[in-house]
Amino acid sequence: MKILFKITSRLLGEVKANLERAHPFAAERVGFLLCRPGLLREDGVVVLSHRLHNVADEDYVDDPSVGAMMGPDAIRKALQVAYNEQASMFHVHLHSHKGKPRFSRIDEKESAKFVPDFWNVRPDLPHGAIVFSNDSAYGKCWIPGQRSPEEISQFAFVGVPMRKI
Amino acid sequence: MKSAHHSELRLDRQSFLGEESDLVLRRSRVGIVGLGGGGSHIAQQLGHLGVGEFVLIDPDIVEDTNLNRLVGATQQDVANRASKVSVAERVIGGVNPSAQIWTGTSQWQMCAAALRSCDVIFGCVDSISEREQLETAARRYVIPYLDLGMDVHCVGDGFVVGGQVALSMPEGPCLRCMGIVDDRSLALEAQKYGAAGGRPQVVWPNGVLAALAVGLFVQLITPWAKIQDLPILLEYDGNAQTVLPSNKLAYLKEHLCKHFADLSSVGDPFWKPLEAWKRMAGG
Repeated sequence: MKILFKITSRLLGEVKANLERAHPFAAERVGFLLCRPGLLREDGVVVLSHRLHNVADEDYVDDPSVGAMMGPDAIRKALQVAYNEQASMFHVHLHSHKGKPRFSRIDEKESAKFVPDFWNVRPDLPHGAIVFSNDSAYGKCWIPGQRSPEEISQFAFVGVPMRKI
Repeated sequence: MKSAHHSELRLDRQSFLGEESDLVLRRSRVGIVGLGGGGSHIAQQLGHLGVGEFVLIDPDIVEDTNLNRLVGATQQDVANRASKVSVAERVIGGVNPSAQIWTGTSQWQMCAAALRSCDVIFGCVDSISEREQLETAARRYVIPYLDLGMDVHCVGDGFVVGGQVALSMPEGPCLRCMGIVDDRSLALEAQKYGAAGGRPQVVWPNGVLAALAVGLFVQLITPWAKIQDLPILLEYDGNAQTVLPSNKLAYLKEHLCKHFADLSSVGDPFWKPLEAWKRMAGG
């Protein structure tokens, strides 16, 4: 199945600017992109991001063993947003390097735990997790009805210039 | 071996577009809605450029009255009642046999799902209402939309040839902001519905406008000459043979579009995943 993820250059800039801010104790920041899906004529789905939901400073847990650990309030608030706005939720964080990023083992483990929770409030929608680098991205998408997530096949950054990865 | 060698050389003279421009163009998926006077030029040029994937939509067949401007169409196509999209498919395939081409011969609204995965959509439709609908569909799936319009007007004793090319980017000013679509024009068009008749059309203004639109597309996806200012609205005066940025652009600097105020209306309006997944699974 083809999974295409789209984000405008402006929104991507906002995401990166937000995630690059220093946190009082966490080594990195995380957030959520609100998205809506569209069905493709060919076998697949396009996920269209439209707004960033920040994780508030106080909703991080002080855990030096990881870059950022969300507390229960961070998850609860994101679930509320998903419910209120009928949104597909994609967790986002940033690896500040060039080239294709990958999930760390902790990213894999943690996202597998909390992403399917969004089906408790929005069971019909795909949800996922994405890591951006300076010039690329990698992510996984949990499709309703499928047990395992699928890798996002393609990212499209819509702006001037257009970029596809 | 010979054909592979030819394939490598085919785009050799346009390597100035950027180091990986061949790859970028080959991976591009472009929608062209309307394969008549304007769209046939665009299909031809994108075929030469090496665009890899096409979605071509037009419900019409080739008629005698099209042969004055429809690039690639022949008398035989008229006799065979060939579709306009089949002509474009043949033209593209003639220079780029590896291009993947999807064609639709219904109204574009009936096969709009094919456009959702396009990187850019070219709108070469006649009516103002269709242009507005097509732009709305493009915005819904966060797709840049290039709109072409050409007209011949009778003014006094003579005829004035004019047109414009507009680039409508997601989150940027739209066709309404640029004054291409407005309620008065839509109302006038609705009054004339069904009585349009054969509008005057000629080949070269379509060619000029199509070439401008293709140039903007290349600027959008390759590093050759980055677009510096948005929005883009180019106005063509066919009698004076000039193309100039529209005066309206002065009023559109820092303009926030109120018609598509944000991205909150993106995606399928009616998301029916169970049906969708079943269909995808072939069920």
